[in-house]
Amino acid sequence: MALTTTFLGLKLQSPLLVASGPASHDVNQVRLAEEQHMGAIVLKTVCSDKYDHMRYWPRPRYKLLDWDKQIGGRSKYFTLYSYEQGYSGTLKDYWEFIKACKDHATVPIVGSVFADVAEDWKELALKCQENGADAVELDISSPHRPGSLDFETTFIAAINTVVKALRVPVLVKLAAGPDVLQQCKAAEKCGASAVTLCNRIRGFDVDIETQQPILHGYYAGVGGPWAKYYTFRHVAEAAQSIRIPISATGGATTAEDVIKYILLGASTVQILSVIMVNGWESVSQIHHDLKGYMQQKGIHSLEEIRGKALQVMTSPEDIIRWSGEPKTGARNLWKPVEGHGRS
Amino acid sequence: MAAHNSKYPGLDPIPPPFGKEFPPVALIVEEKCIACDRCPPVCFFDALVMEDRPDHKYHRTAVVIRENCTGCGLCFEACPVEAIIWVPDTEDTKPKTRPGDSTVKDADV
Repeated sequence: MALTTTFLGLKLQSPLLVASGPASHDVNQVRLAEEQHMGAIVLKTVCSDKYDHMRYWPRPRYKLLDWDKQIGGRSKYFTLYSYEQGYSGTLKDYWEFIKACKDHATVPIVGSVFADVAEDWKELALKCQENGADAVELDISSPHRPGSLDFETTFIAAINTVVKALRVPVLVKLAAGPDVLQQCKAAEKCGASAVTLCNRIRGFDVDIETQQPILHGYYAGVGGPWAKYYTFRHVAEAAQSIRIPISATGGATTAEDVIKYILLGASTVQILSVIMVNGWESVSQIHHDLKGYMQQKGIHSLEEIRGKALQVMTSPEDIIRWSGEPKTGARNLWKPVEGHGRS
Repeated sequence: MAAHNSKYPGLDPIPPPFGKEFPPVALIVEEKCIACDRCPPVCFFDALVMEDRPDHKYHRTAVVIRENCTGCGLCFEACPVEAIIWVPDTEDTKPKTRPGDSTVKDADV
């Protein structure tokens, strides 16, 4: 019984990945992730120089909504409201960061980049590869991206260019929405090695007491355990229509969530919110529970259950239905009840 | 500001009034700290540690290492007794950055 997983040709010691974010923002966190036997680490996304302002963080930049302080993080359905944006250093810092990670860690490192024009994407991705990244994730669905960039015109060209230029695998990170399946197919067609489903989405919240938007008065990225249900669906849909592996992310806080993603066909699961709010120890809890489940079910490798739930998925035509109540006669006649309603 | 009655206690107000002048950083009100160990794990910048305080009610307290604090606000959320407050980092004299200010002139990338 082992948690080892093969993903993009890399041998991972666990299907759990650290998602791009504050838990993969400096070298010390890479050491912590390694201590927790994480499968791989997706580093914090670096922006091209054009988005330099995204490297400077406002204070505060996080807010936990629907979070019960008194029970210390056992709140099951909180929202992490974040206006963090990109890696808080220059490109040069980021290349050195990747190098340092590769020098000191044995766990695979995935670089994550964001830009707008295809040339910039290519330049950033190539630099990640040059500095030793084992794969590169294209964060095309960042909740902080400018709204003027759209998938069809900007990102298809970017994926195409990057895939042609790179030797290492390319992951494409997509956000939840009606177009995810089309975007998965497009990414596969462009030659991407895997897709990451789903990024956090852009959200907004208002404080009714002050009647002002919370934090800094602009849309922020929202995510949390509630985000898993639509991601389950997106992963299930994608797993049935594309051949490239899926790295699922969004709302996974427990081993059950991880197992569900794998049952729906995901190869790896990226976690972040749970590490942020409950600390790195939550990873060992997930690993422990995952092994417990495998033992209980007599599973030797997660490969045995990957996509298993999809095999028995039905279609709307095959769902057994019963006719409803007869709609003619008494049930279709308006009978005012005495003393209630209009006379 | 009646933010304490609102849905989002803890940060009162959001962001703090001095936020335009000085970068806000976290500070622990040691008398309020109940040494529950919840804030160090949420800090991703190693800015929160527990320290022994023999004369403290709980013999320990959380302490902010100011150089590491990025003012992200997550520890405020983790604290069940609101023992963490915003204070201005008056030693930080770096210029404020607004979108559009480019500061990468010197970076040779």
